[in-house]
Amino acid sequence: MRERFLTGYNDFVLPFMIGMIFILSYCAISLVRIIMQLPKEDRKKFFISLVTPKTIAKNIRDIFCDCLFHVKLWKRNKLLGYMHSSIAFGWFMLIVIGHIEVLFYVPHRAKLFYFPIFFRYFVAETESTMKGAFFFFLMDFFLLMVLSGIALAMIKRLQSRLFGMRRTTNPSFLDLIGLYSLWAIFPLRLIAEGFTADISGGSFLTKSLNHVLNSFLSDHTNMLPAWWAYSCALGVFFIVLPFTRYMHIPAEMLLIPLRNAGIKIRHARKGLAKAQVYACPSCGLCIDACPMGVMKTHIKDTTVYLNRQIRRNNEARIEEISDKCLLCGKCTAVCPVGVEGDKLRIAQRSIRRYAINQDYSNISAQMLPISPGNISPAAVSAPESAATVKNGGKVLYYAGCMTALTPVIRKSMESILTKAGVDYELMDKDGGLCCGRPMMMAGRFDQARQMVEKNTEIIMNSGADTLLLTCPICYRIFKEKYDLKGIEIIHHTQYIDRLIRSGMLRVDKDTTRYVFHDPCELGRGCGVYEEPREVLSCAGELVEATKNRKESICCGGSLGSLSLGFDKRKSMTENALANLMAGAPDIIVTACPLCRSTFNRYADRPVEDIAEIIDRKCVTSAAGPASLNPGGSN
Amino acid sequence: MKENILIIGGGIAGLEAAGQLLKLGYNPIIVEKSDHLGGHVADWNRLFPDMSPAEDLVSRLIAASSEANIFLNTEISFVNRLKDSWNIMLSNGISIITRILLFATGFTLFDASKKEEYGYGVYNQVMTNSDLEHWFNTGQDERIPEEGPAAMGFVHCVGSRDEKARNPQCSKVCCITAVKQAIEMKQKFPEAMIYCFYMDLRMFGKKYEDFYISAQKDYGIRFIRGRVSEVSENIEGKLVVKAEDTLSGKPVKVTLDLLVLMSGIVCNQQTCKTAGLLSLPIDSDGFLKSRDNIADITEAPREGIFYAGTCTGPKTVPETLAEARSAALEIHNYILNGM
Repeated sequence: MRERFLTGYNDFVLPFMIGMIFILSYCAISLVRIIMQLPKEDRKKFFISLVTPKTIAKNIRDIFCDCLFHVKLWKRNKLLGYMHSSIAFGWFMLIVIGHIEVLFYVPHRAKLFYFPIFFRYFVAETESTMKGAFFFFLMDFFLLMVLSGIALAMIKRLQSRLFGMRRTTNPSFLDLIGLYSLWAIFPLRLIAEGFTADISGGSFLTKSLNHVLNSFLSDHTNMLPAWWAYSCALGVFFIVLPFTRYMHIPAEMLLIPLRNAGIKIRHARKGLAKAQVYACPSCGLCIDACPMGVMKTHIKDTTVYLNRQIRRNNEARIEEISDKCLLCGKCTAVCPVGVEGDKLRIAQRSIRRYAINQDYSNISAQMLPISPGNISPAAVSAPESAATVKNGGKVLYYAGCMTALTPVIRKSMESILTKAGVDYELMDKDGGLCCGRPMMMAGRFDQARQMVEKNTEIIMNSGADTLLLTCPICYRIFKEKYDLKGIEIIHHTQYIDRLIRSGMLRVDKDTTRYVFHDPCELGRGCGVYEEPREVLSCAGELVEATKNRKESICCGGSLGSLSLGFDKRKSMTENALANLMAGAPDIIVTACPLCRSTFNRYADRPVEDIAEIIDRKCVTSAAGPASLNPGGSN
Repeated sequence: MKENILIIGGGIAGLEAAGQLLKLGYNPIIVEKSDHLGGHVADWNRLFPDMSPAEDLVSRLIAASSEANIFLNTEISFVNRLKDSWNIMLSNGISIITRILLFATGFTLFDASKKEEYGYGVYNQVMTNSDLEHWFNTGQDERIPEEGPAAMGFVHCVGSRDEKARNPQCSKVCCITAVKQAIEMKQKFPEAMIYCFYMDLRMFGKKYEDFYISAQKDYGIRFIRGRVSEVSENIEGKLVVKAEDTLSGKPVKVTLDLLVLMSGIVCNQQTCKTAGLLSLPIDSDGFLKSRDNIADITEAPREGIFYAGTCTGPKTVPETLAEARSAALEIHNYILNGM
């Protein structure tokens, strides 16, 4: 080993150093700003999580899995996964090994930033030693890995379908500069190291290239332009990085600990929201995922473009994109870095200034049919009555507005409860309050909170210990925003599953083929996938849609969108229906009143709620009404 | 030899056209998919505004067209284009060669169960306008109590002027049908309280307005401007109907024993299929597309094909009859000039 230059310096390191210093200071300032933007309690939570061993371990694991290995992309498409992880992991290893080499051979140079990057220029080494051969091989191996990734990236620009992507994002001008400089870095490094391979040493890649180069460029003075070009490519990449999609590289490393600390979006543009917007790599997976994508005109309304417009502060487009979205959450489900497209949009809606802000504070819980003053004494003393559910308490059934508009669901559910001998009470039989979720989706948090408070008062005073819901829209807000101590919140798919398991409901099985459509709010929103399928398997044969569970396609009827018209929604509904037809089902089943009525308008076969099917197919259990204390009247 | 003219549909349009064509000396052939002639009108009881029995009209039309060839329970299986005519294969195995086709395929009544919020098929006390006419005819329907409903309601525009239900068009006849049926119910049960929930009342026809004024003045029928939002059932099994009275700007809630849904006129899916066999265009409202919606409403864009009645859009009975006559005359001119 020998150092080629006593100074350990050459002018060509300058472009790299300028870029490096710029990007490091930019990231440091941004980091401080985002952390300062967090609300005080969130900031405290974040710092605590950084010293909690469990979250430290999780952070490290997530950073390795997501940022370097791109595990989520591997699961989606092997080629796409390889492309991203080869570039990220290969580059990471080149940097790490470069530093190890410096520490091994020239520890006194470790304080120089550029030294590991341009090590081959400054230090000559022979491969006769074991150590030399080993490092040479590793460096060439990882360089080859990165180069293969770059080659795939170039192919992807032309043929994204090979990578499982029907459509991909249109890069902006600066994105293209970033892209081309990134593509240039590694071939230039190969050429630069190829020039020096006969002096500084190299392995299978660089050495071979050196022979080729020497045959027609035998003069060593030609090596300097190559090293200059390599340094310039790095410099350009670092300088444009903050203004391109490549900002996701540093931003994701901040987003992961923020997410693991349990921080939620509190402000439309600051703190976590900002971290998410910058962590968006513009990969465009959300374009294919978006249910609006059936119409080409809506491609620019997807999350990746929302993030781009937020970065540009284009208020008109931000408003348009946020209002149009159905909030089905599929972009969030497929996003490899964890940008929450739906929550980000709700946050944008929440900073809108409305001319009129409704005030519901004058609605008194006493006015409502089921209220502290109106409930029968029997109901209040329910816990001691000999009810039949295993946890012993009374069930309060909140049908909600959407179920009120599809009365067949409420009727079927009540019939099931009666057949199973469950002691229940309908909370909104004769009018009730909205759960608040539509207001929440519209970003009107104050109004939503007023409803949440009033409903909480009614429910807490009802004496029930189970709250049953047939609408996933209600279910989600009850799960997320209500604080109902001691009361179990349960969706009817889960409840029916429980009734069947405990033997309180017996269901006849036949050969009818059912397909289950996962409603957005139930599946992606609350993670309920298994119970409805369990229930349907008891009633007949369950077939699956092409895209199901987490990837289920929104029916198009969602309350989430504030601006989509019926003509636009129609093609989405038809697309979602076509997706359900894969298994040639006899009946389309869902567990959401809104999905049911949306599909019913366009479907060529029956669309039913899971409750309707079970009500029709169940046989009254032996232990049913006979043992029921009638009405608990004593 | 008499010229064959194939008429698809044996409703009032088909019958009237057949009668006229017979008089002009042609040989009309009626293909009817159901087991009776007269179509929807044959299922109706009395017709506004003179309360004349529907049966009379239908039997008069059938008598006038009795010379025509009529195939009941028959549909068109497939169509072959010959040089200057069509070879039409019927489902009963008969094939007809004709130069001229008349579509008198009519409409379908909107499926009221698609408007889930009104509870048709869910609650026992909810019926459609067609069910009520059936009861007027037969007196058999368990949804109507023998002593009559103490209170009942009519919901206008069910599946009409409703983008959500995929039917943006006005069905034209339901406003006046609801007024007619409300009066008939009031005549049968003078004690009943009757409400009509409407968006607009479109009383465009002869004597319609008088009819409507009479319903208010002489029969005391209550008209509430506002759509019904939801229908539920109370403990006694009565219907609780919630709506908004947009004139007073207040929500209303009434308890009823019977609710009648005014199902609208929607395009006949089978017509669209047959039209597809002949590659005829469908208009943006889902009905058949005429050559011109003002001057040539009875002519298809293709030579030799004619339309009459509601296959091109919602129409009243007199409009349909007039159109059938007009189509017959068009056919006559076509044959004279084409020969």
